[in-house]
This record gives sequence, C-alpha cells and structure tokens, in this order.
Amino acid sequence: MTLADLAHPRQDYSYGFLDAFARRELRRRILKAIAIPGYQVPYASRELPIARGWGTGGLQATLSVVGPQDVVKVIDQGADDSVNAANLRRFIARMTGVETTTDTTKATIIQSRHRIPEERMDKGQLLVLQVPDPEPLRHVQPDSSQAREMHADADYAQMWLSLYEQLVRFGRFMQGASYPVIVNGRYLMSPSPIPRWDTPALHQSAHLTILSAGREKRLYAVPPFTDVRPIEFSDVFFQVEDQAGRVCTLTGAGQKYMDELPQPGGESRFRISDTGYVEKLLKMAQGEPTKIGPTYYDDAGQFWMPGVIKVGA
Amino acid sequence: MAYVAARGGEQAIAAAEELHTTLNGPLSAMLVRSIERHLPYLVDRVMGEGSLYAPDLAALALAQTGGDLYEAVLLLRAYRSTQPRIAYALPVRQSELRTVRRISAAFKDIPGGQILGPSLDYSHRLLRLDVLEGQEAGSGRQEAGSGRQEAESGRQEAGSGRQEAGGKEAGRRTQEEAGWLPSSELEVTDSSPRVLVQSPAASSLPSAACPLPPVSCLLPPPTLPAVADWQRENGLLAQLPERDPCDPSALPDVTREPISFPAPRAHRLQSLARADTGGVLALGYASMRGYGMSHPTVNELRLGYAEVTLRHPVTGIAFSAGRVRVSQAEIVDTGAGAPGDTPLRLGFTATIGWNEVKTIAGAMLDLEMSAPNPHPAHQEEFVLYHTEPVESSGFCIHYKLPHYVTFGSALDNLRKAAKTGETP
Repeated sequence: MTLADLAHPRQDYSYGFLDAFARRELRRRILKAIAIPGYQVPYASRELPIARGWGTGGLQATLSVVGPQDVVKVIDQGADDSVNAANLRRFIARMTGVETTTDTTKATIIQSRHRIPEERMDKGQLLVLQVPDPEPLRHVQPDSSQAREMHADADYAQMWLSLYEQLVRFGRFMQGASYPVIVNGRYLMSPSPIPRWDTPALHQSAHLTILSAGREKRLYAVPPFTDVRPIEFSDVFFQVEDQAGRVCTLTGAGQKYMDELPQPGGESRFRISDTGYVEKLLKMAQGEPTKIGPTYYDDAGQFWMPGVIKVGA
Repeated sequence: MAYVAARGGEQAIAAAEELHTTLNGPLSAMLVRSIERHLPYLVDRVMGEGSLYAPDLAALALAQTGGDLYEAVLLLRAYRSTQPRIAYALPVRQSELRTVRRISAAFKDIPGGQILGPSLDYSHRLLRLDVLEGQEAGSGRQEAGSGRQEAESGRQEAGSGRQEAGGKEAGRRTQEEAGWLPSSELEVTDSSPRVLVQSPAASSLPSAACPLPPVSCLLPPPTLPAVADWQRENGLLAQLPERDPCDPSALPDVTREPISFPAPRAHRLQSLARADTGGVLALGYASMRGYGMSHPTVNELRLGYAEVTLRHPVTGIAFSAGRVRVSQAEIVDTGAGAPGDTPLRLGFTATIGWNEVKTIAGAMLDLEMSAPNPHPAHQEEFVLYHTEPVESSGFCIHYKLPHYVTFGSALDNLRKAAKTGETP
C-alpha cells in the first residue's frame, strides 16, 4: 500500500465548483427565501467561470442544491439547444457528473432563462430561474436602498400608478415579460423575465421555484402552493400574450408560447419555444412511445387552473 | 431533434473556442512568463480588478484571453472564488510601506522627501520607432535625443531621492535591513550587474530602473512617514480613532457578504480597490471636471511594497509571507466644510498593484461619496455598483444572448396598443 492509494484522487475543484462555505451560505439564504415568499434575500454571490449576467445567479442556486441523484435540464428561451443553455448544462455536468435531460417530466432540477416549460412541473421538482434584475420597483425607484424601504412598508403605490398611467396612455398594460406579481399577498416580485404566458404557472404550483440574480446578489423563492397574483385592477385584468392563430411549423400544434420567425416578404412563421416539448410531439407523431405530461395550457388556450387568468372587461 | 440540436450547440461552443485559440496563437509557459515580466502594469491592473495578488496567474489570464482585460479579470475572480480564506494578514500602515514612488502635490517638500520613482510622467510620449528597426530600447539612457532619455533622467532623480532618504535613515538600517532581500531574490543578468529583483513582484522594476550604484540597490526602498500624519499633528485633519484597527478577520468582507447601503467603510474601500479602472476614472473625472468638489489636491500618492504579515497559528509569532505591490492615493478637499469640521477632509483609495489613475480617481470618489449631497453619479450606491468590472462587463455582454422571448412579449403589447390606436 502506498500513500497515493490512501489519498483522495486529485480534484482541482470542489463538487459543484462552489466551496463548502459558499454552498452553506447559499442554502441558508435559500431557506430564508422560502420562509419569506417573494422577499429578496441578499447573498454574497461568488464569481463563477461564466460571465456575470449570463446565469451565474441561477447557476449558484443549482450548484448549491444539486446532488448525485439529480437529473438536470437547462433551457434558455425555452430551448435546450441554445449555446448558452448548452454551456451551462455542460458546466453543471462537468462539475457534478449529474445526469442531464431535455425532458421536463424527468428532470429534478430545471434551470431556465426566460421560460417555464409548457408541461406542468410537479411535486418534488425544482425550477431555478435566472434573474437579471430582481427589483420589480427598479423603474419607479432606481435606488435600491429606497426600494428596500418601500418593500418593507409594502408601499407599492408607485407601481399601481404606473399601471394606471399605462392604461391611460396606451389603453392597456404595457409590461411585457417579467410582469410584476404579489407573492403570498405580501411582497411585490419580479418573476425573472418570463413572458406573461408563464406567469400564471407560478400560482399555487406544486413545485418550488428559486429565482436568483448573481450580479445583483439577491435570491428569492416561491414555495409550493403559494399565491402568486399579477398586479391588475378589479375591472382591467392581466393578460397573457396572444398565441391565437399561431401554428407551430414543426409540429402543427397551437396555443403554446411561440417564437416568431420573420420571413422574407414580410410574413412570419412560428415555432413552439419549448424545444423539449417539441421533441416529444415529434416523437409521438412518428409513432414512438412518448409520455407527454399535462400542459399548463390546453389546445384551446385555456389555462389548466380555472380563475387564475381572468376574462372579461 | 432537440438532442441532436443540443449537441450542435455544444459543438458550436467547442468550434468557437478553437477558432479563438487559433487566432491568438498557442499558449505557453514562456509566453506567460514574458507577460508577467514585461507588462507589469497590465498584470497589476488585472490583479487589482481581479482582487487576487498572483502575478503569474494574472499573466496566464491575460495570455489565455488574448489580452481581453475584462475576460482576464473574470478568469482571475472565478479562480479566486475557489480558494478558501486560510488566514488574515495584519494591517499595514502607510509608514511601513516600502515606498518606491511618493509624491505630494500639497507641499513642495514633505518629511521623507518627494520621490519621483519609476514613472513616465515627464517622458516625451514619442513612439520609439527605432525599436522597430532593431534598436534595443533598454539602452535608451546612452542614446542621445531620445524620449527615453528623459524618462531615464526622471529615474535618476528618483534614484537620488531614494538615496537621500536612504542616507537619512542609514543609522537605523542595520542587520535587519541587510536581511531584507535574501540572496535568492537577487537576480544577476547580463545587462545589469545587480538588479533589485524581488520575486514575484520583481519584474516591475526593469533593470534600467536602477541607476544607483549596485550597493544601494541592495537596500530596500525606504519607509516614509505619511503626509496625513503631519496634517493630523497640526490639526488640519481629523484625528484617527485611538484604538488599533480591530481584528482583521472581523472586518466586513465584500467578497463574503453582499453590500448594502450605506456601506461599511471597509466595503467601500474594498469595492474601490476591486473597481474597474476605466469606470472609476469616468465617474471620478466627472467630479474633477465640474460635477463635484471645488478644490481637490493630491495629498499623497504612493507606489510601494507592502509586507504581508501573518501570525503563526500555533506560536502566534508574526512572520512575513511575502511582499505585494500596492498603490494608494489620498486626496484632500480644501473647500469649506461644515462649521466645526477640521479644515481638510481626506479621501482614500488603495489597491493591489501599481495603478495611479484608479487610486487618484477613487480617492476623489471616496470624498464625494461622503459629501452631504453628492451629485447622483457620485452617490455611494451609484459609484460602487456601476464600477464593478465583472458585473458591469458581464451584464453588458449578456445582451448578446437571445432575448426573443422577452422581445416577443413586448411586441405582443406594442402590436395590440397600435391596433387600439387605429380603431378607437
């Protein structure tokens, strides 16, 4: 027996890249975030070998909770195959050796930039959303110290005012993605920049969502079965992006969030943004055995949980 | 489909990296050593913004990125996050710095003297085109009529200043001093019989920077009293608190906890030390040019070496773990303060590596941030958030990432709003 036999094999980086102190800090912050739904918990935010603003917040959350038994899916704009998603997935796998997947239903952790998958996430799954700007009050109050005070006082008057101003000027709410929501009846929260189409998926969801902004050093969470309500008036309601009339050129399906592809001549074609879902639809069309989970929206565009998206006015 | 496509994404990444490598040429240990030795100011800048004193790693980062500064800083920072904090060095006082360059714009002469040191300040900024023809620039001192000569005479002055300071303190320099530079740290080269080489920082002192007789070269750079101490004695500046700086391990650490505002002083100074040189300059210049103080004066600017002193974990005995290049600037504001204030207020910035622009601009910003009603661009939160090199550059380049989901979401609103406008 030699000393080399007894020693651990050489390891240039810790499991999951982060050192034990960083992981412990992140886990504690995540627990705090879960305990106070929608509240932005500051954290130290280590630099990672990925550029800041490219998902380092989501990555730190994923790396701090991932374990050998996990199956990880990474998407960017709904796509598993985008270079950024591929790069993050490659990094997570390289630092942990976990299994990766493009199948929403098989993943235990889904790290995402800008989208929630079309198939409904379930109990025990974790959604990690990468967040560029955690502060929903930023455009009414760029100073973060003052914004923190407004959160402490639940003083969101300026948000309601800006909503009203949009209504007066444009006849509708103009907030695109990252539509502000009230979590658990208390904190105003920016749901990363997911499209409005995905916002209702956070409400009373069976899965846990962690939202993490590495550059801004804030993370927050939506625990399972928590109320998440977009801000709206009692007579003018929040609306999701209209997908009516859009047909996916790959699958022929409709009523899912579509990427618009401009064509020469001024026309547009459409493709479902969730590539993992497209993959399954194509498999099924070819007669291969595929298990497609229930989706958030049915083929008629109805959200699965009635009453969440209000109609009328 | 997506599986194949996912692989496509990974292949594209690999191909892009390979092309970058091909265009930049091969990496080698020699290239890294050459960068470390010949581009010390660049290495210093990367170390300062990367907040990691490791000249070889900074040189490697520069080589690996083809000299892309922000990428190099990110590489160093990312490496830094993997390193545990194993010890805290003892505080370094200004008067303990081994100083190679120290100037004050506030007084003609100061205790310890003005030391020009290594500087291009008074050189003629003429390109040495003859170097392209094969002339050796290192021998500039012998060449008549070259811009280099001016620089060299600057060094001569610096040398004599240093010698003078050395002479004054010669009495105190005895055995201890003789052991300051172990023989292993002296390097003998062909061009110069003895060179002040202090590994790993030595490369910043090119051989020609040592016009002193060889024996003087063996002496460490002098330690010099702080100008601010003289001003404190004379009641011009607020006194320092009585007690010693506390336990270094208890200091707030901006790399281990998030900053919040108003920031602890330690966080502010740490952030400035790590800040982007260009960013600090831009905001600092705005202050200098007219959006800030009326009369800032460079009280003292220093380049030197700081001893990294640790305590042995068992015996408690203090020992030196090495020396690092550091720079610092103090700015005093001579504009009228509030009634009851001392006549002068001090702004301070220090960083690892020698970086004069950053420390001067940073010290001005330090003063601005403490002013009662600073310009919005000089408020603490504004300055510290927006001069973070890794965060600002990372966020800037993130706009290259696809945004078609958010863009599509915005288009949905805009199209509908336009339609509403058409049919009222």
